[in-house]
Amino acid sequence: MSTVSEQMTRPRLVLGEQTYHTITEAISKIVEEKTPREWYIAFGITGGMTVMLGAMLAYLVMTGIGVWGNNIPVGWAWDITNFVFWIGIGHAGTLISAILYLFRQKWRTSINRAAEAMTLFAVACAGIYPLFHVGRVWVAWWLFPLPYSQGMWPNFRSPLLWDVFAVSTYGTVSLLFWYVGLIPDLATLRDRAKSKIKKFLYGVFSLGWRGSVRHWRHYEIAYLLLAGLSTPLVLSVHSVVSFDFAVSILPGWHTTIFPPYFVAGAIFSGFAMVMTLMLLARWAYKLENFVTRVHLDNMCKIMLATGTIVGYAYATEFFIAWYSANKYEQFTFMNRAFGPYAWAYWIMISCNVISPQIFWFKKMRENVVVMFIVSIFINIGMWFERFVIIVTSLHRDFLPSSWSYFKATYVDICTFIGSFGLFLTLFLLFTRFLPIIAIAEVKGVLAHELHQHGHGAAGSHGGKH
Amino acid sequence: MAEKFRLEEQMVQRMRTPLVWSAVVGWIGCFIGYVIDAKQFHFSYLVSIIYFLSICLGALFFVMIQYVCTAGWSVVVRRIAETVMRNIDVCAVLFIPVLIGIPHLYHWVHPEPNDIILQKKAGYLNIKFFVARAVVYFGIWVLISRAIYKHSIAQDEDGKAEHNRRSMKWSAPGILLLFLSGSLAAFDWLMSLDPHWYSTIFGVYFFSGSAVAFVALLILFSMYLRKRGVLSKEITHEHYHDLGKLLFAFTVFWAYIAFSQYFLIWYANLPEETGWYLHRQEGSWLWVSLLIVFGHFLFPFLALISRIAKRNLKFLSFMAMWMMVMHYVDIYWIVMPTLSHHGVHVHWLDVAALLAVMGTLGVVFVSRLGKNAIVPIKDPFLSESLHFENV
Repeated sequence: MSTVSEQMTRPRLVLGEQTYHTITEAISKIVEEKTPREWYIAFGITGGMTVMLGAMLAYLVMTGIGVWGNNIPVGWAWDITNFVFWIGIGHAGTLISAILYLFRQKWRTSINRAAEAMTLFAVACAGIYPLFHVGRVWVAWWLFPLPYSQGMWPNFRSPLLWDVFAVSTYGTVSLLFWYVGLIPDLATLRDRAKSKIKKFLYGVFSLGWRGSVRHWRHYEIAYLLLAGLSTPLVLSVHSVVSFDFAVSILPGWHTTIFPPYFVAGAIFSGFAMVMTLMLLARWAYKLENFVTRVHLDNMCKIMLATGTIVGYAYATEFFIAWYSANKYEQFTFMNRAFGPYAWAYWIMISCNVISPQIFWFKKMRENVVVMFIVSIFINIGMWFERFVIIVTSLHRDFLPSSWSYFKATYVDICTFIGSFGLFLTLFLLFTRFLPIIAIAEVKGVLAHELHQHGHGAAGSHGGKH
Repeated sequence: MAEKFRLEEQMVQRMRTPLVWSAVVGWIGCFIGYVIDAKQFHFSYLVSIIYFLSICLGALFFVMIQYVCTAGWSVVVRRIAETVMRNIDVCAVLFIPVLIGIPHLYHWVHPEPNDIILQKKAGYLNIKFFVARAVVYFGIWVLISRAIYKHSIAQDEDGKAEHNRRSMKWSAPGILLLFLSGSLAAFDWLMSLDPHWYSTIFGVYFFSGSAVAFVALLILFSMYLRKRGVLSKEITHEHYHDLGKLLFAFTVFWAYIAFSQYFLIWYANLPEETGWYLHRQEGSWLWVSLLIVFGHFLFPFLALISRIAKRNLKFLSFMAMWMMVMHYVDIYWIVMPTLSHHGVHVHWLDVAALLAVMGTLGVVFVSRLGKNAIVPIKDPFLSESLHFENV
């Protein structure tokens, strides 16, 4: 199905014979049903991975940063790669909730909740790496400019400090945005809850929501304001992350296209992760009526667009490295593509630039299996992009006598796998306790569609929940 | 219906007359200027043609985005945008003086014999390849803009939705091609004015400014029609509000890109990059640089942020005019320090070149606009656009 059907009408975004009530049922059911056995199995696996993360971090703190593979000249390696990787994953959430909201893209309503949740979990995973890379994690609070007796201040001229501000702002606003969106749905769950504890907890967090016109009015204003505030954050966070590299004078890091290029890459990787998780959730919880082919088609198109922007950035960098006639620039890029890390470079190119090109074909945008595979490719490719930028620019520095080849240790690898464990554990908990699709917003879309397509599809127009 | 949405001949005449005068006066000025001071002429002319071409490219970008997203709200203003975009073919002809002026404009044509950097770049920066590339860029743009325009006009007759689909098929790869060719064009025509300097973001910078200027033009021209009672009911406050949002958004995006470029070069402080900005801080150029910071970003940012401002048509028109001026200042600021290193020297040829290109493009634009309906009358989403409301 394309976004434009034969008669050039808008495709429907909520399928099946839906009423307000059936939507509430279909989505609340996921939370209210008895926890399925598969959930426990999945939780056991991801929980185990999370425990491994804890063990690796404990070992790191007790022993020192040397347990990672970082060493001069590669002083930054998997730690910062993983940091940028996870921060990037988070960007789709804010893009979907803020920017697509401002662009009146109604299809966002089925995926925004899960994408925003993913944002928060990804930011949590990202935070681990710089936090532990400071070495003495117990004094990490020195990163904040606190006026205390020692009179020590962080270096305000360092983008690493701006990261602290940018990421914490981003985390806070994303959390607020997600929470504000959740309030009406939490009230729905409260009203449906059977046990006292559930009723109490959902009740507390729904802040006394009763769905009155006044409530809705305030809610809409708050939502619009938060969308407006989040929009610059989509750009600023990853721009600041890119400054970590681009303000330096290192060839391969210092280039002016970095900020928008990083932002596009972040959205790209984030959409891939949303795609991976939503396809799984759609399959596991049978959400085909809400996450329709139209949604998937649109997501494929966004991945194609952002993947191609990333490809444009790779090409521009390469071209300008030649055009600059600066032999250090030229060496860095030739070394990336044909040096000892050529394998990583070509993984990056194949996964990020070539694989999404398959979405030029409508058939491929309809094929769930292809989508899933490509989304995994993109996740891999975007990790390698950060690895390529960071490690290949460092491993052969200005002094050939210190050139070396970075090798990850088992601690690097297990920490990274562990962070996936944390991410997935949090996501599993989310699917268990909160509505994974924004019930109230999907109802808004349904109301709009009933209005547009006549009233044939649903009976109760004003059903309460 | 087609007749109702066609500009009256009288009105076309009224628009055309001042434009013809502008072209005549402008071209006479240009010829005289060319004889007196060819170098100055070529620089003034480059600013002018790049200014108007960037607006047409902005239109091409805008139209393709509308098709790719199957946007409904913008259908009422799309024909105006399509007609602006269609004028890229005139820009192609008007670009010939730039090609003639290559030896005057571009230092890489005659580098100092010991300039190793330019020797290394000679494979790219040489007249033959430069001209060939320009032909390819214009070829791509004219091809895409003609195809989309043709489909849109054909739809006025037969009303088939197939035309939307075909335009969409052109637009998706078209956006990619536009970005690739447009970035290279910005490298060639603007960045290589200072052939030692390089910045990977420069193509994006060029596009972001173009988008601002085009949206501003779209607002201004719609307002011009509105004053004369054309499309005054069809293009509503809702559309102006949305166009205002786009003007605001592109202005902020431009600032983001401009800041990224400046900031990274300033912070790294490498001599091969900072030179470009140092020139632009010399003498009175400093004031132009500051004008761009405040006038191209800070003032419009504050002025356009509120909803009231975007729905006040008088104020919005003023801001649109302001942004069009600022885009000109921006292009001027990119080009002219190459000619006058130590300060701004506004020359009467700047005005003559502006009049010449504006007049020529304007005359073609107006007559093309007069030939067809002024909105895509049979677009399947026209009714959606007419009833569109900001919620």
